[in-house]
Amino acid sequence: MAETNLEAAAPEQKKPFFTARRKAKIVDFLMVVPALILLAVFTYYPICKLFQISLTDWNLLNDTWNFVGIKNWNWLFAGSGAKYMWNSIKVTILYTLGELAITMVGGMLFALLFNRMTRMFSAMRAIIFVPKYVAMSSAAMVFLVILNGNYGIFNYLLGLIGIQGVDWLNTKSTALFAVLMCTGWRVVGYGMMIYLSAMMGISKDYYEAASLDGATGRQQFFKITLPMLSPTTLFLLVTTFLSAMKVFQSVDVLTSGGPSRSTEVFVYLIYRYAMEDFRMDRAATCAVMFFLLLLIITVSTMKVSNNSVNYDA
Amino acid sequence: MKKILAIMLAISMIFTLAACSGSTGSSSSAPAAEAPAADAPAAEAPAEAADASMYEVTEPITIKWWHALEEQYSPLVKEVVDDFNASQDLITVEAEYIGAYADINEALVSANAVGKDLPAVVVANTDYVAQYGSSGLYENLDPYIAATGYDVSDFSAGLLVSAQYDGKQVSLPFLHSTQVIYYNKTMADENGIEIPEQWDYDSFRTFVEEGAKACGGYGTVVPGWDQWYFETLFLNEGVDIITDDNTCDLDSEAAIGVTNYIKSMCDDGIAYLAYGTGASDNMRQNFYDQKAFSVLHTSSLYNTYVTKCPDFEVGMLWYPSASNGDHYSEVGGCVVGIPSKNDQATKNAAWQFLQYLCGKEVNMKWAEGTGYLPTRNSVLTTEEGVAFLEQKPAFQCIFDNLNLINPRIQSDAWSELATTWKDYMNRMINDGADVESASADMVEEINEILEDHA
Repeated sequence: MAETNLEAAAPEQKKPFFTARRKAKIVDFLMVVPALILLAVFTYYPICKLFQISLTDWNLLNDTWNFVGIKNWNWLFAGSGAKYMWNSIKVTILYTLGELAITMVGGMLFALLFNRMTRMFSAMRAIIFVPKYVAMSSAAMVFLVILNGNYGIFNYLLGLIGIQGVDWLNTKSTALFAVLMCTGWRVVGYGMMIYLSAMMGISKDYYEAASLDGATGRQQFFKITLPMLSPTTLFLLVTTFLSAMKVFQSVDVLTSGGPSRSTEVFVYLIYRYAMEDFRMDRAATCAVMFFLLLLIITVSTMKVSNNSVNYDA
Repeated sequence: MKKILAIMLAISMIFTLAACSGSTGSSSSAPAAEAPAADAPAAEAPAEAADASMYEVTEPITIKWWHALEEQYSPLVKEVVDDFNASQDLITVEAEYIGAYADINEALVSANAVGKDLPAVVVANTDYVAQYGSSGLYENLDPYIAATGYDVSDFSAGLLVSAQYDGKQVSLPFLHSTQVIYYNKTMADENGIEIPEQWDYDSFRTFVEEGAKACGGYGTVVPGWDQWYFETLFLNEGVDIITDDNTCDLDSEAAIGVTNYIKSMCDDGIAYLAYGTGASDNMRQNFYDQKAFSVLHTSSLYNTYVTKCPDFEVGMLWYPSASNGDHYSEVGGCVVGIPSKNDQATKNAAWQFLQYLCGKEVNMKWAEGTGYLPTRNSVLTTEEGVAFLEQKPAFQCIFDNLNLINPRIQSDAWSELATTWKDYMNRMINDGADVESASADMVEEINEILEDHA
């Protein structure tokens, strides 16, 4: 009898499906569902659609399209698209390295220079940072005038000190540099502010201890400041890298990708196929390629940097 | 984290499969927004069966006209539009300046793909006619012309053909120009630079050399931002830019000869190929400042050049003859048409405005107020033409050669071809690329484009 009772009681002791922990998980999941839906609709669906378009021959002018398999991918890697793709990758990486250098090295130098809380330095910090608030297209329009080869003020100023100016925006060897001048002017203040705020978060104790041990200013910078700023450096590296890789406006206004495609960054290449040639199929193929490229580089950057970042600061 | 990633990937797969499943057919609707199927009796009905009542405007309607007439022409645009609005009760036209032809093209194609916010009437550079015609973006106007009895015979024949695609009148000639050479006539007179009777490529080079010496700068400037300005030099030399078997001839001996001809003048420092950001503005400024003796440009800018150069007289020349004696030019400027995805009521109102816009009286207003040519035979060959020449005597060289203005090459691959050509011309002339090998690479690329569009 007792055995029978035990057998009958066994199923009742079975764990209920909706345990408190499971309920909490479901509630947590439901909380993020709206965000997931938005992500799915506005991010993942367009990515899938992009991939689909890359397998068609869709021209923006036409209302119909045909499925063409991997023809566009063939064109991109083995056809005439290859040389332009590699050129754009090269230009984009050069540009990105330039912007990274300006943001991180320039930002760090300005931060070190202005890391003093006087009224004068506050004003100077503001002057350096304000360009960040100027719209990129407006800034580019101004630089278009400043850098004009014939009538630009930059060449005029160079002329005053005896340097022969060049047509900055229309010379193959200087065009990318000219674009970087414009974007650098805007972003260096941002790098400075990020580094400044991080520097202020470093405990003074480290420096006092180092001073007592006889460390020089240079040693303090390389042994304390720089390592303690590594999370900030990683943050700047990743965010600047992603924004620099996607540069478009400044290139569009200043050079339209020229001369001779010397400033044709990847996003501009995509734009060119989509909005000048109306080849949405080719533009989509390039966009998918670019997406994969960014994904791989970002994940690799995160993996590599995880091992060399100090989160003590 | 891994689970979330897996779920995301699964969702992506589902979307991919769902997306791809829609494209298994050989042809389907565009991935963009579904195009509203406009009732288009006009496009499909045979011209002779068209009924005029189908194209009447019966309700008040406001329509938009997208144009490329810059700020200096605003008073004229306003006058023309106001006159039309006052001339009848049902249609109100709102004119919108969109930008250069390329900007309008971009805006129009985007609006057409989405199927929203399309203008009722829109201008297009002459080399877009084939693309708009073949894709059906522009409405076929033949049924409208037939039903309303609109007389197109008064248009100059070449211009009328320029507004057609595949024999269909998909647009009407609107503001037209051609390629010309502007030169500093005062400087030429002062330095004894004469235009020889044998006006060919050799004598043009001499003219450029003398001009460069006279101004201490460039003898001429060849616009490289738009292939229209130099393509005539190739066509006259017998180059088939698109051959009958749908290939490109730009690596032929004749084509390489013309490229080398331009390149040699640039290499000698007596000319330059204007390319890149601000190229057009810089070229004009060099001419205004007398740093360039002559420029190859469009006749439509005659008024601008004259206004901007008060210190010297601006002369106008026809392009020089090729070695075979050919000295044709090509029509430039823009046509005007109706986007076919508009509803029929809008298209009917647009047709009314189109007729007015291209009418003889309004055409003369454009010709007088801008540098564009009169498009009507009844103006060109009559006393009105004489009066026009008295007002603008420099146009004599164009009037003398009116029958030599050819329509543009019509190909829906043209835009891509032109981009590639311009790019390579810049590389060959400005960047020192070897002309023969670069031409071969260019043709290979262009042939691929042509094959894609075949």
